[in-house]
Amino acid sequence: MSAEPALLSLTEVAQAIAQKRLSSREATKSCLDRIAQWQPRLNAFLAIEPDEALAAADAADAALAKGNARGALHGVPLAHKDMYYDAGKIVTCGSKIRRDFVATTTSTALQRLKDAGTIRLGSLQMVEFAYGPTGHNTHYGAVHNPWGLDHITGGSSSGSGSAVAARLTFAALGSDTGGSIRMPAHFCGVTGLKTTYGRISRAGAMPLSQSLDTVGPLARSALDCALLLGLMAGADPNDPTAAAEPVPDYVAATRESITGLTIGVPSAFYVDDLDPEVERILDETISVLKREGANIVQVELPDQRQLTAACQLVLAVEASAFHKRWLIERPQDYGPQVLMRLQNGLAIPGVSYLEAKRWRGPALAAYLAAVAGVDAVIAPVAPVAAPTLAESDVGNSPDAEAVIQRLTRFTRPINYLGLPSLAIPSGFTKSGLPVGMQLIGRSFDEAILLRIGAAFQRATDFHERVPEPA
Amino acid sequence: MTRPSPKEIKAIADVAGVPVDAEVATRIANSIGPAFEGFAAVAGTLPFDLEPASFLVVQTAKVSK
Repeated sequence: MSAEPALLSLTEVAQAIAQKRLSSREATKSCLDRIAQWQPRLNAFLAIEPDEALAAADAADAALAKGNARGALHGVPLAHKDMYYDAGKIVTCGSKIRRDFVATTTSTALQRLKDAGTIRLGSLQMVEFAYGPTGHNTHYGAVHNPWGLDHITGGSSSGSGSAVAARLTFAALGSDTGGSIRMPAHFCGVTGLKTTYGRISRAGAMPLSQSLDTVGPLARSALDCALLLGLMAGADPNDPTAAAEPVPDYVAATRESITGLTIGVPSAFYVDDLDPEVERILDETISVLKREGANIVQVELPDQRQLTAACQLVLAVEASAFHKRWLIERPQDYGPQVLMRLQNGLAIPGVSYLEAKRWRGPALAAYLAAVAGVDAVIAPVAPVAAPTLAESDVGNSPDAEAVIQRLTRFTRPINYLGLPSLAIPSGFTKSGLPVGMQLIGRSFDEAILLRIGAAFQRATDFHERVPEPA
Repeated sequence: MTRPSPKEIKAIADVAGVPVDAEVATRIANSIGPAFEGFAAVAGTLPFDLEPASFLVVQTAKVSK
């Protein structure tokens, strides 16, 4: 058993508790100790609840002693992005407007994890209303990257990326509407799964864009993501958009070899204008996958810039519509950048919005035809490693949209197509910042992405490296 | 499909019930202009009987390598 239980993976800690080699109290105390050490540097948590967490851990240990294990994650302490409704708890959504909002329901994704036995450490920071890719937050301060405290975590699941990387929680829920799981995963060196649109219920999760929002985990490995996905995926009467597609055994998929699988490398767009270190790490990742038995081929994708544009039209309108009442009544309570972006949606005609929605089917069909010969596509998550907090703190300046576009260039097309994408830690820059690659699959085929990700992680140790306190 | 001008944006925002001043309208025009330009090749070309739900049909079709 590791001297510091918080350094175990989710899978390892769940097994250790189930086999009574470790108590839930020991696991929880270890996380709380690390939180106390790191929180002043990272600002990753919005709420820390040590007394409640330890009491829940003791209850979990007592239940297990009587033979009453709740599920696969019995007694495992977790914290999540503060946008998942948890009945009786304040859920700020990273905003001033919801600073005192107490949820009256519990989100389906969170409830399914609770049903598996997890306990709550507190809640994690996020970009205000999940509308921003950097991790800055006007109301609660920026979240810091544990690999370089002057650098961004990426957003909007900023606290999730930072806390998982620093081993403050074994995993965390994030959400991905334009890249908000994959970017923190990439910038913070953790594994993040953007699920297929409809794979996990969005009931009780704060909405941003009903056509694009997806729920997913950030964790320390593809195996941990597989475990969490299997617990959360599936139909939900509270969310008619949650698909009734079968839920396969994702954990079993991670054990399979990738020999004979074919992985596509885009010939353009995702390989253009890359920072040289990102380009190097992409090449090295491809080499590892080849060594593990995958066939690597080039793929010609349809124009991805059009997908980005369509995504922007849909996202802007739907976000503005959700926020319209507060845009009228409380505009002064938004941070400048979020207000600016919400105002953008006001200027898009209804016909343009619906054209962007109508094109989604043909655009997905064209993409699937282009990748017909491959099992997955590999691409960088972003063209650069984490910028500094200072250089990306653009607020509502004229440069803001350009910064946002540059960071989200490789993630938004996938949200528009509703496809799954797994971000995996793939290397480090010379200055010690992590870089992630995304594996993009077909709708509802998360299993093959987790299989490839797990094979890559068996061959590398990037996902096991732990940042040291500065 | 052309990007809306600040003047047009001001009018649209007024109709939406969330008026913006000229400075904000200019900022919005600069911000969303690239999305209009990026989508211009698709706008106005879609067939008559294509509806948004076609996305779900494509999404759930059984497709493999």
